[in-house]
Amino acid sequence: MLDDLPQRPLRVLLAKLGMDTHTVGVTIIAHALREAGMEVIFTGLKQTPEMVCAAAIQEDVDVVGISTLSAGHTRHLPKLARLLREAGAEDKLLLAGGVIPQEDQPMLLEAGVGKIFTMGADTRDIVTYLKAWWAERQAAEVP
Amino acid sequence: MMDVTEFGHAVLAGKVAAGARAIRWLDDGDSRGAAVLRSIFAATGRAHVVGITGPPGAGKSTLTDMLVAELRKRERRVGVIAIDPSSPFTGGAILGDRVRMARHTLDPNVFIRSIGTRGQAGGLSRSTHDAALVLDAMGYDTILIETVGVGQDEIDVVNLAHTTVIVGVPGLGDEVQAVKAGLMEAGEVFVVNKADREGFEATLRQFELMLHLREQSRPEDAWSAPLLRAVANRDEGGGAIVDAIEAHRTFLKASDGFERRSGRREREQVLTLLRAQLVAEIMRGDRAASILDDVTARRIDPYSAADALMSDWRQ
Ligand code: B12
Ligand SMILES: Nc1nc2c(ncn2[C@@H]2O[C@H](COP(=O)(O)OP(=O)(O)OP(=O)(O)O)[C@@H](O)[C@H]2O)c(=O)[nH]1
Ligand SMILES: [Mg+2]
Repeated sequence: MLDDLPQRPLRVLLAKLGMDTHTVGVTIIAHALREAGMEVIFTGLKQTPEMVCAAAIQEDVDVVGISTLSAGHTRHLPKLARLLREAGAEDKLLLAGGVIPQEDQPMLLEAGVGKIFTMGADTRDIVTYLKAWWAERQAAEVP
Repeated sequence: MMDVTEFGHAVLAGKVAAGARAIRWLDDGDSRGAAVLRSIFAATGRAHVVGITGPPGAGKSTLTDMLVAELRKRERRVGVIAIDPSSPFTGGAILGDRVRMARHTLDPNVFIRSIGTRGQAGGLSRSTHDAALVLDAMGYDTILIETVGVGQDEIDVVNLAHTTVIVGVPGLGDEVQAVKAGLMEAGEVFVVNKADREGFEATLRQFELMLHLREQSRPEDAWSAPLLRAVANRDEGGGAIVDAIEAHRTFLKASDGFERRSGRREREQVLTLLRAQLVAEIMRGDRAASILDDVTARRIDPYSAADALMSDWRQ
């Protein structure tokens, strides 16, 4: 059974920043990624960008996923992107989901967020996106 | 990209990103992991490796968090490896132990790594031993290994750790029964957590009795395992537990027990690696595959198949 599984599961850190306590979306994402064979590291609520950056490096994840529904995204996400860059971890994919108004999205993508999924996003699309990203990344790594 | 020797130096210098990447390679079975390990092995063997094990939900993560805080008061640099189960069906996992250790995230002298079991039974992952070596080489003084929630015989951690802390809790009914077979025999420090809960006194007495029986069957100069209480989510009891953990280290150091224990696990690792290499070697090629097909079709029994494969390989 397990012999057939991929040797290198994608590792994804999931976190919530600041005082945002909406947990439904992040829980759904965590389970969807687990079902898709990924390792999800959950850091819990009330994280700061500094904490997420430190945890992402210790855990050596491939993807950092932030779920944000309480309007902190324009502050927190650019800061996190900058911290990851400064730590030499810009190769990690920064994903965001939750309540992120359309008009804020160009600025976030510009600041280093790789991809944004908002309300009603189908978890299958998220999984498909991550698998494609991972396949591309692994293909690029082969010497 | 740094080459592997540079990588080894970075790990030895305690660089977090390098250590984290080395652990990833070892966990993934990437050959670069083995290469890094070769270059750092000589610097390992210093850290005190401590296992934290017990039934699911006993408070292992919360207790680990408390022990990290206590060790930090004593200025130890602390590495944590927290293991959670991977799904046997998808291989995926939700690793949530570090949620309880969040207050140490920004401490530069604490490194926390979550690892999935990835199909390994026994309460650990295949990579746990190697991950502990990397943290050892990075200069962490104490390495705490939180196992998955264990039952009767998932006690691999006792072969890996110098000191194993067994965490029990009131309210699981027969949980002493559950740890009896392996853990009661193997642990060096016993903690009944959730001392604020109903049934605590009864659980404590059960543990006392088991430990008393255990003492009687051991030589007089053997380590006498202390039984302690804790309320981990209120940071109560950590001092005495760390005292006991460090007393056990001193006890091991008084003889050659410390080196003997690490030596035993390195030797075991050689055999594990050898087994994997041999099997891979023997199973290479079409003939091996067709013998396995014969077993599936019940044309040949497993014993004869193994004999046939061995004699093929010898030639
Ligand atoms: C349920 C809810 C609550 C519950 C939360 C319970 C809980 N434990 O989660 C309670 C009642 C506690 C609550 C409280 C509050 N809420 Co509220 N809440 C909602 C509501 C109605 C639904 C949220 C939800 O669970 N959706 C279902 C999940 C599945 O959707 P989702 O989280 O969006 O996730 C999906 C995608 O976004 C994406 N996704 C999400 N995260 C991630 C992460 C990654 C990595 C990826 C790839 C994808 C991804 O995938 C998911 C699947 O499609 C929303 C309204 C709305 N339309 O969103 C308001 C809403 C989020 N709340 C709001 C507010 C203001 C509050 C409060 C501040 C006060 C108030 N007025 O009610 C408090 C404060 C809470 C706090 N401190 O954060 C506002 C936020 C406004 C803003 N952002 O500007 C909203 C938008 C309502 C509104 N229109 O005003 N809330
Ligand atoms: N009442 C009480 N609750 C506690 C105590 N210690 C931990 N808890 C709670 O017990 C629950 C489980 O704690 P964890 O630390 O996650 O337990 P665990 O053994 O690591 O769990 P797994 O890793 O899932 O096996 C949490 O809700 C803790 O807050 C305690 O001493 N008293
Ligand atoms: Mg735990």
